[in-house]
Amino acid sequence: MSTVSLKELVKVYGREIAVRGIDLEIPDKALTVFVGPSGCGKSTTLRMIAGLESISHGELRLDGRLINDVPSRDRGVAMVFQSYALYPHMTVRQNLEFSLKLAKLPAEEIELRVARAIGVLELGPYLDRKPSQLSGGQRQRVAMGRAICREPQVFLFDEPLSNLDAKLRNQMRVEIKRLQRRLQVTTIYVTHDQIEAMTLADIIVVMRDGIIEQTGSPLDVFENPENRFVAGFIGSPQMNFFDGVVGLSEGRAYFENRHLRLPIMSTRFGDVVTGGERVVAGFRPEDIVPEGHGVDPSHGIELISKVDFAEMLGNETLLFSSVGDTEFISRMQQPRLVEPDETLAFRFNVERMHLFDAETGRSMRTAANKPTEGGIHGFEGKPNGSGDYRVASDRGDERPRGGNSTLPR
Amino acid sequence: MTVAIQDLDFEALAAKQQVVQKGVPVKFIFAIFISAIWLVPFYYLIISVFKTTEEYSVNHPLSLPSGITPVFGNAVVAWQQAKMGAGLLNSMLYGVVGAGLAVFFAALASYGLSRIDFRRKNFWFMLIFAGTVFPFQMYLIPLFFGYQKLGILNSQLGMLLIYTAICIPFPVLVLRNYMNGLSREMDEAARMDGAKEFSVFWHIILPNCRGPMTATFLLQFTWIWNDLLFSTVLGNRTEVRSIMNALQVFQGSYSSTGPNVVLTATIIASVPSVLLFFLLRRHFMEGMRVSSI
Repeated sequence: MSTVSLKELVKVYGREIAVRGIDLEIPDKALTVFVGPSGCGKSTTLRMIAGLESISHGELRLDGRLINDVPSRDRGVAMVFQSYALYPHMTVRQNLEFSLKLAKLPAEEIELRVARAIGVLELGPYLDRKPSQLSGGQRQRVAMGRAICREPQVFLFDEPLSNLDAKLRNQMRVEIKRLQRRLQVTTIYVTHDQIEAMTLADIIVVMRDGIIEQTGSPLDVFENPENRFVAGFIGSPQMNFFDGVVGLSEGRAYFENRHLRLPIMSTRFGDVVTGGERVVAGFRPEDIVPEGHGVDPSHGIELISKVDFAEMLGNETLLFSSVGDTEFISRMQQPRLVEPDETLAFRFNVERMHLFDAETGRSMRTAANKPTEGGIHGFEGKPNGSGDYRVASDRGDERPRGGNSTLPR
Repeated sequence: MTVAIQDLDFEALAAKQQVVQKGVPVKFIFAIFISAIWLVPFYYLIISVFKTTEEYSVNHPLSLPSGITPVFGNAVVAWQQAKMGAGLLNSMLYGVVGAGLAVFFAALASYGLSRIDFRRKNFWFMLIFAGTVFPFQMYLIPLFFGYQKLGILNSQLGMLLIYTAICIPFPVLVLRNYMNGLSREMDEAARMDGAKEFSVFWHIILPNCRGPMTATFLLQFTWIWNDLLFSTVLGNRTEVRSIMNALQVFQGSYSSTGPNVVLTATIIASVPSVLLFFLLRRHFMEGMRVSSI
């Protein structure tokens, strides 16, 4: 049992505020990933948990025990650093044994633990080598081995894959996930790479400017971003955004701007739209389907547009086009050769449209419509001609879920 | 289009290359001339130790010696007259212990300056570094009287103290810069692994500074070995004096030995430091390499 609990955690450097108040419960045995752009405070938070940075304000608890002022060596946490931080003058074996010898464990116990780490990470052939004689991936494994040997309650990873090349990174990512499953140790992982976050995490914590923007399962964060920042940060290529207003016509609500008029599904947004408010519509690249190249949405709105540029990736092609001044990216899932300046019909899948308040950036999805268990949020109720495009006034009075439970910015 | 290699005029290409390298003979002659200026004294030194005093005074100073056996006689005379045995032992003590302690203290100071946060860090660094800024002659008179008062004038302890102290600032400059380049994540990892402050220094930082520590040790050792100033002023007793001080018996109006003996003595006196350089040259060359694994 190892839960980590962060309560109103704040870190200031002089007058600079790095972390503005983090409230988070990290459950036992879960792999929690802190993700966000550089400078968002994710590494600082991790370092506070590690005991490498003092805590300016707030409480940090491990299994309910307050550990704010406990030195890192006594916290029961082990960390894998970005630069691996192996001891260059020691062999792999000595690197693994270092902490155990400092702890004055009996020789048999040291032998046992090192043997176990070696077994798990297949380090056998490299035991007598110095770190400089190892490849990047091997060093990474030694760094993990060093953490495993200590048998910590919590593993901390600080961008451990960012020094590896792309192929090795994918490989190590899988290895970390497998290792975590096998060892069943509570793990906190920091990365700026949202793909890493999506693939590894049981729980994603999206951070910006020292606060948590959203916490949830990867799919939940992807499908139901609570604000425009999360929507733009999670997903690659990022979500397309279009500025506009909500227009009402014959009892139906529409997202409108000079070039687009897209029905707002009541099943998705309930009665939160009243008409006239300034909003931002968001579509993921796969929800703007070039006609005939993907699953055509049942409620698609067609837009004819010229392709400015196409990025061919083999299994798919990204099409760069624009509506008015707004550029958008569409994902062509059964690709063919696209000539520049070719005109294509794009179908906007309004069933998967996101709407954000133009002022606050908050999502206008109603809580009632959010799927509970990370499933794909589909169209509710049978489409009935176009009759389902309406402002539902009888769907309860839930308001959009607002923000997070942190200190005010 | 592919180049038909066999059709190329290699002569012409070579000539072109020659034009580029023109002027080389002139440079080469100049280099030989400069080298000669360096080498003639060495030549003079080497041939002189193989001459007897008579041979030295009769023949031209740069003429070749008639045999090699006189070197043994010269060495015996030099060794006995200057009491070189004691001098060498003293110098070895001052060099090894003085430079060793100085580098160790410098490493401690550098660790503090590069790793521990405290106020006015730069001031303390500048204060230590100021030790190398002033001419050493400045310290002589205060030191002399201070030593006299403390009763450590003409003592090995006194000599060790001054050599250790005076050799600290330069290694601090080098080691602080070097430690600043060492990955901080490495100490953090050690701290998380359970190491306390001194453990981090001893087990992690120190072993990774072996290169620059050896380099600065050698430089400071050589400086102490070659020092005449402090040795003459503060340690003139026969039992305490260093080897360089001992060589002074060949100087002045009471000396009766020829230059052949003096030169033999200087060669013997320089053997240990040259040997040490050869022994530690690998570490010395690696001295400035920064490791960041």
